[in-house]
Amino acid sequence: MSEFWNPYLPLAPGRRRALGIGAVVAVLLLWSLLAGSGLVSPVRLPAPWDVLSAFSYLAWHEGESMLFIATLWSVGRLAVAGVLVILIGIPIGITMGAAPKLNAVLSPLIDPFRSAPVVALLPILVMWLGIGEEMKVAFLFIGAVVYLIPMVRDAIQAVPQSYWIGARDLGATPWECITKAVVPMAMPRIADAVIVAFSVMWTYITVAEYVNARVGLGQLIQNARRFSAWDQVFAGIIVIIALALVTYQGMNWAKRRLYPWETQQ
Amino acid sequence: MSATSSPAAVSIAIKDIVQEYPAPSGGVTRVVDGISLNFERPGINMLLGPSGCGKSTILHMLGGVRPMGTKTPTSGSILIDGVECHGAHDDSVMVFQRYANRPDLTVFENVAFPFRLKLWREKIAEKEWRQRVAEMLKAVGLADKQQLRPAQLSGGQNQRVALARALVLRPRILLMDEPFGALDAQTREEMQRLLIDLYKAAPCLVVFVTHDVTEALMLGDRVIVLSTQPARIADDFTIDAPRPRSTEWQRSAEAIRFEERILSQLHKSSAGKGAVRVTI
Repeated sequence: MSEFWNPYLPLAPGRRRALGIGAVVAVLLLWSLLAGSGLVSPVRLPAPWDVLSAFSYLAWHEGESMLFIATLWSVGRLAVAGVLVILIGIPIGITMGAAPKLNAVLSPLIDPFRSAPVVALLPILVMWLGIGEEMKVAFLFIGAVVYLIPMVRDAIQAVPQSYWIGARDLGATPWECITKAVVPMAMPRIADAVIVAFSVMWTYITVAEYVNARVGLGQLIQNARRFSAWDQVFAGIIVIIALALVTYQGMNWAKRRLYPWETQQ
Repeated sequence: MSATSSPAAVSIAIKDIVQEYPAPSGGVTRVVDGISLNFERPGINMLLGPSGCGKSTILHMLGGVRPMGTKTPTSGSILIDGVECHGAHDDSVMVFQRYANRPDLTVFENVAFPFRLKLWREKIAEKEWRQRVAEMLKAVGLADKQQLRPAQLSGGQNQRVALARALVLRPRILLMDEPFGALDAQTREEMQRLLIDLYKAAPCLVVFVTHDVTEALMLGDRVIVLSTQPARIADDFTIDAPRPRSTEWQRSAEAIRFEERILSQLHKSSAGKGAVRVTI
């Protein structure tokens, strides 16, 4: 117990994994116990095996996979919005971080949206863009970009000034100082911002597909809820969590491969 | 103001410079108070003063770097070869205590960094700069480490990279801002010896800021002692002893006289504000 409260204690990867898997198994057991014993009615809490069979039903039924098609649509919307977030958000964040005057102009227009109820924008987007794909992508884009821009800005401003002064002294133009000295140093934190943006988009996907989605994971959950198929609702939520986790882990892995020096400093 | 036939020939005239910054309480803080100095030939010139006395401010002015965007100097002028200097110029290169090596680049790429910039790319052909970088890496003793990254090097080796990056441009003026201040005593001595070797191979006008009395005595052709904020010149003298100066010289009557002279000047002018270091 003497080593329990020690934030710097290295934990062997195997041990960490064992503890994590143990926790998941414990929750599954508790869930099975509650549902299987009849303590909680299946209408309120479907049993894990019911969720599993709902999952297999969604994954393959009568020659088609509703789940696979829904996943493709959701991933597609997320990817389009993600590319827009990167292409538009990162340059805005960099210029805001690099030019304090630009930041002074744009930050009151962007920063408050981090705590604004983005969901409340949905009716406005429907009014402006209709109920098609544009609205869904725009909603995901806005939801994520308001997180990404301030993070990219902060990443730029967190680069030690010595890099800027050093480049300036070597004869770099102010723009070269930004592009060749400051931005490369900010890249790991910019990558973090992109990872957060994708996590945020996964949390918003169900909302984006709330209105008039004919197909998608959010729609799948919606539809199941309408028919009180709670086992399918659970299965849908678990699939979204799993996809978000895979996205997060994959992007983190890519970040470590691209910027291995960050942790060596 | 590009390098002409003799790259080393250069003069700096500092005329009555004053630097003031807005104080947090309102009003202004005077950091540098009417300093005039002339540097006319290659040599190692030590600007010695207590920590926080404004000596780095003077160095930034010489380099034309304005980190805070304030007008520098507030009044007075700096002339390089008789031409008043405004903002950044390519006659000088700085070496900082925080060496600012890029962790994502190799040692070679770090030293070659200036040639990524338009200014130097237009002046020097790739074939030539590649050769210069290779020669410079050999001169600072990192020829076998050019593919490593800064995280794989010691503090002293990283400072060698920074020094190489500055000297690869063959500057006429080398500005050093406490470059060895963060190193341990042994590494500091090694770096001082390296600087002397590099200087002998290609003399230029070095202005070296330090708060280390021993360093000033071991390296300087000329030592300029500054009082604490606002910085004023408290003393200015030359040392003729040949370099490298041995530990025997360090214990000689001459060296001790210099040391006592510096410490008494600092004591008189600074009255206990700021600190200097003496290594035995």
